[in-house]
Amino acid sequence: MSFKNDLRIVWAEFKKSVKIWISYPIMLVFWAIAPFMWVLPFIFQGKALVGGLSSAAFKELTGSPHYLPFVLIGAMVSTYIFSGLWGVGNSLREETYWGTLEYIIVSPTNPIVVLLGKTLAEFVYATVNVTMQALVATFFLGLDLTLAKIFPVFVIVLLLLIGFYGFAIAFAGFTLLIKEAHGWVHTLEWVFYLFSPIRYPVEVSTITKTLSAVIPLTYALVAIRGIILLNKNILHLGKTILILIIMDIILLITGYLTFRYLERKTKEAGTLAQY
Amino acid sequence: MNNAIEVKDVVKKFKRGKRLRKREIFAVDKASFDIREGELFGLLGPNGAGKTTLVRCIATLLIPNDGSIKILGKDIFEHSLYCRKQIGLLTSGERTLYWKLSARENLKFFAALYGLDNKERDKRIDYLIELLDLKDVQNERVEKYSSGMKQKISLARALMHDPKVLLLDEPTLGLDPQFSRFLRDFIKNTLNRKQKKTILLTTHYMDEADELCQRIAFINRGKIVDCKTPYEYKRDLPHSEVLDLRCTGIQNSDALLKRLKSINTVETVTLNTTDGITNVKMILPRAEPMLSDLIELIRQTGKILAIDVKQPTLEDVFIYVTGTRLTENTAEFTPQGEQN
Repeated sequence: MSFKNDLRIVWAEFKKSVKIWISYPIMLVFWAIAPFMWVLPFIFQGKALVGGLSSAAFKELTGSPHYLPFVLIGAMVSTYIFSGLWGVGNSLREETYWGTLEYIIVSPTNPIVVLLGKTLAEFVYATVNVTMQALVATFFLGLDLTLAKIFPVFVIVLLLLIGFYGFAIAFAGFTLLIKEAHGWVHTLEWVFYLFSPIRYPVEVSTITKTLSAVIPLTYALVAIRGIILLNKNILHLGKTILILIIMDIILLITGYLTFRYLERKTKEAGTLAQY
Repeated sequence: MNNAIEVKDVVKKFKRGKRLRKREIFAVDKASFDIREGELFGLLGPNGAGKTTLVRCIATLLIPNDGSIKILGKDIFEHSLYCRKQIGLLTSGERTLYWKLSARENLKFFAALYGLDNKERDKRIDYLIELLDLKDVQNERVEKYSSGMKQKISLARALMHDPKVLLLDEPTLGLDPQFSRFLRDFIKNTLNRKQKKTILLTTHYMDEADELCQRIAFINRGKIVDCKTPYEYKRDLPHSEVLDLRCTGIQNSDALLKRLKSINTVETVTLNTTDGITNVKMILPRAEPMLSDLIELIRQTGKILAIDVKQPTLEDVFIYVTGTRLTENTAEFTPQGEQN
């Protein structure tokens, strides 16, 4: 099929996904609120431990004494990646539940193109959620997010997501074969929470600091916090951007190849439409 | 006439059990048959016989362990894209559509997967909605439809790209008699006779196969047992009558079966007990001379409720050929989607 046809499929999948989401309005509300709910205990915990939301010890590790903006940025970026992991990684499982997966696979379409449509839908969905969070964080929680900072942050987020969606596509293939997503997603979530600076600076431990180096999210979070909290210019983040681009290329290629391999394995095992 | 589908020595094995007890089960075992262009071909067998597995192999949803499959002369794995464009698939079951979308929205999505541009797509959807009488409900969510209506939309999806080959896997399963009747007529008259589509129909309803199919392959335990026209099957059966008895109170059905089998003139006997009622079916040259002896024999173990002497049906032929009833589940291993 031609590139034009592929674009038509991506668009059709995007529209379909959005229509199905809209039919469950309560989920939209849940995903908009949930990322903030987990921040609140950390705010209260921080206040109880150091008597406020800033500390000198925190500044030594991060360059900024303010704890709240640090956690809010972690919350917003993690919303992007975890909704991507859930949305794209679990999307083919959803098609299995709906009984429609076989009809997608039997069509003369590369399932990767359908996954790209799902990725686009997920990106838009996450962007709406994160925008809502950013508005709340800026106007009610004092996050200094000016318009000048949004573009460079968006570039970093985009670079992070390209690689992450590559990983999510491989994960979609994995769930196709093993028929289980929840346990793996939760495990990955906790690996990221533990070994990347979502909730705390990884410098607190040598182990977390060392392992965080292989997670793209670490570089993205450091760069985004540098832009928002330390007023760094994107031109000073050339090394981070280069690392993210290299990781994007590796993850996209391995994601694609892994998916095709696992799709074939699933067809051999005869478990394509199995619950 | 050219072959539309060629299946040659196809083997599909599944692994069953865990670790040391792992063993291979043959879901399809060296299956071979050809379907001519424009033919309505039936694959008839009991649940778990391998019908669905075979259809999934033809539809490229399963990769066989061995053998080859061609659609319109091209190998399905070497020319996967071409072959998938020629196939329209319809399976049984309600859950094959997006319930939160309308019929029209469902069809629009699948039209995109088949590369139809917007103009072509809308024209085709209008045609199919008219053809299947879905105009009044086309914009309602699928979740509000009856099973029959959902199956109509699934059929419209299978026809969306006007495929030359249709794979219909138990299309009437679970539908009420009215919709089953509609679907059978539609398959035979519109799709096969008027539109000249090549159709592979799997079913375990012998009436359906008898009524619709020009040729039928019997499949049992993964093997193609025979392949003929319904007329040839009945003609070649070396017996002319079927004796059907409904009994109650049969204490030892195994012993009765053994005794009936020992009668020389009785060629085939099946015995099936459900809810205390035992159905005894015997195929024999002539029933009448044997009747009094058989009644006496059965009376010794139970009570006879009804006796019927009939001409053989396709199911009787199936029993004669395979020794298995179509209503039995013969699967050792039931792969995905195989109906039980």
